[in-house]
Amino acid sequence: MIFDKKFFREAAVLAGLSVVIGLLVNIPLIKRCMRGDLDQGFVSAKTYPGVVLVSLPEVEDLYARGAGIFLDARPESEFREGWIPGATHVPFETADKTSLRELAARFPADKFLVVYCSGGDCLSSLGLARLLVDLGVKEVRVFLGGWAEWKQAGLPVETGR
Amino acid sequence: MEAGGPAGGDGPMIRNKYILFAFRIIVGGLFIYAGILKIADPLGFAQDIKNYRLLPQTLCLFTAFILPWLEVLTGACLITGLFKKTSALLISGMLMFFIILVAITMIRGIDVECGCFGTFSRKADWGLIAEDLVMLVMALTVALTRPRKPAL
Repeated sequence: MIFDKKFFREAAVLAGLSVVIGLLVNIPLIKRCMRGDLDQGFVSAKTYPGVVLVSLPEVEDLYARGAGIFLDARPESEFREGWIPGATHVPFETADKTSLRELAARFPADKFLVVYCSGGDCLSSLGLARLLVDLGVKEVRVFLGGWAEWKQAGLPVETGR
Repeated sequence: MEAGGPAGGDGPMIRNKYILFAFRIIVGGLFIYAGILKIADPLGFAQDIKNYRLLPQTLCLFTAFILPWLEVLTGACLITGLFKKTSALLISGMLMFFIILVAITMIRGIDVECGCFGTFSRKADWGLIAEDLVMLVMALTVALTRPRKPAL
């Protein structure tokens, strides 16, 4: 028998050791998690220096000054309901590196790149931002509040393209 | 029939032993490598797990703390021969889990970096499943080969 007592005993030793070591060496991060630092996302300035998390006021300001290029990472079905005026639709689920690279090459250097998705617990904006940074884009702003927060604030929206 | 004849008996066994050892080095080495890369960047790995959209935030984080150590420990055990069968079985289990995970993710149409080797990761695709399958065959071979009975 493969799964005998010896297996379970040894597996328990290996799993137990992994848990103990894994938790001990990450105590600082566990503390940060308990403080709620990591509730929104794990991408930190340290791991992804190019990814900057921004909140609604900053996004609003960039929009008002016309200084932002907005990328909407939501899937087609959600995008169709409306988007931040002027936003380019770059659905994360189907984004591939070749077309992203072409897109990135067209970004004007004097504008700020802002990526957003539906808001709440959506991940595609972060994923897209990471892809862009991997492709060599120096700085990507991620608006975690996303579409939900934008719409709730009563800011202009665009529909029916 | 005579057992343990010089030509027929030992030859294949020795070869088999070397192949098994090579399997242990390859799979164990890859697991140690993959584990260390993830240990170096727990938050990056947590995000990779989260991108698969299966686990809630906190669980992603704790998986990212613990799983890499399990990879390193089982990899090291596989190479050194301590808990050899158990570590080969655990590695097989992890590989099966990875294969199912990638397959499910592809079926759901989610396009993610696999997160397998830290920042050196690639897309989770069929090629990745194929690589995992090759490692799975190696690990299962080590796990299921019966130890040679001591010569009488």
